[in-house]
Amino acid sequence: MLSAGPAKKVTIYVGEDHKYHGQSLYSAILDFLFYRGIAGASVVRGIAGFGADHHMHTIRIERLTENLPIRIEFVESAEKVEELMPKLHQMAGTGLIEVQDTLVVKPSEESPKAAVKGAAVALKREGRAKLMRIFIGENDKWHDKPLYQALVEAMRANDVAGVTVYQGILGYGANRRIHKDGALHLSHDRPIMMSVVDDEAKLRSFAKILDEMVQQGLVVLSDVDVIKYTHEVPPAEKEARK
Amino acid sequence: MKLEGKAKMLRIHFGEDDKWHGKPLYRAIVEKCRELDIAGATVFRGIEGYGASTLIRKPHHLLSFSHDAPVMVTVVDSEEKVAKLIPQLDAMVADGLIAISEVEVIKYVHQDGQRS
Repeated sequence: MLSAGPAKKVTIYVGEDHKYHGQSLYSAILDFLFYRGIAGASVVRGIAGFGADHHMHTIRIERLTENLPIRIEFVESAEKVEELMPKLHQMAGTGLIEVQDTLVVKPSEESPKAAVKGAAVALKREGRAKLMRIFIGENDKWHDKPLYQALVEAMRANDVAGVTVYQGILGYGANRRIHKDGALHLSHDRPIMMSVVDDEAKLRSFAKILDEMVQQGLVVLSDVDVIKYTHEVPPAEKEARK
Repeated sequence: MKLEGKAKMLRIHFGEDDKWHGKPLYRAIVEKCRELDIAGATVFRGIEGYGASTLIRKPHHLLSFSHDAPVMVTVVDSEEKVAKLIPQLDAMVADGLIAISEVEVIKYVHQDGQRS
């Protein structure tokens, strides 16, 4: 978070029509600043201007959007600016980047509401875990309900950390039958992949239940590193709140 | 077909519009897998992404017909089988990513319930 005192103000001049990997350049830069934790940035659209190419960019009635000048501004600490500069330099292409010394008299503050939300323990859990992938067909059933749905319910009931069901568009598996999302027939039997992450013991014990439910398909396990952010209340705190 | 214990998983990422000899690349890959008797292959379509071509791939906006969604093909088989597939894929995938990882098969069953 930016604090009061000396800082740098960076201004980047680009054209509204400039592109960066198929996306508009100014929004690519703004995204970059956002995800790299810059305290704040503004994009201002000029109404007329010219740059290195000496081409006049202007709003004319007959040509409403003609590569108008865009100015992206942000204020950050000198170290942060230095850290981001090489990438900004590369992104800005033909645009101009200007850095000025500035003085932050009063830093902007998070609204009290947002600050409280942030304080509500965003736990970061890291470590080794297992990823289980289950390949089945969309039409596979378990007690008359879709197997994938039954599996999700079974996992919830067994406190498995989380699962996501993916629908494929084409595939074949154990039974050599092609699962296909045909455009003209309504009977879909698309491939389904479920991806489950939890610790090994949990998944191994769930594998027994899985074994009874999955009549055809493939189940594989692999190692993963978990980097997880959660708002879950830690068990100790949960006890204390009771 | 037997598949148990340690195996390899291949994930091939490319675009839905990529072609191989005039047909969709993802279909050509599935056909190649069948031809090589690979245990299974599944194609997934993503909803957004970017990759080797660095262009943001976004599938159809509601009304436009131009889509180039990201596609991922997942293949699981023994190390030897996967090793046979890789040179073929190498020739087919011009612009994309092929990643390999180790997996442990805990279940592989056929339709008739026959277990391997």
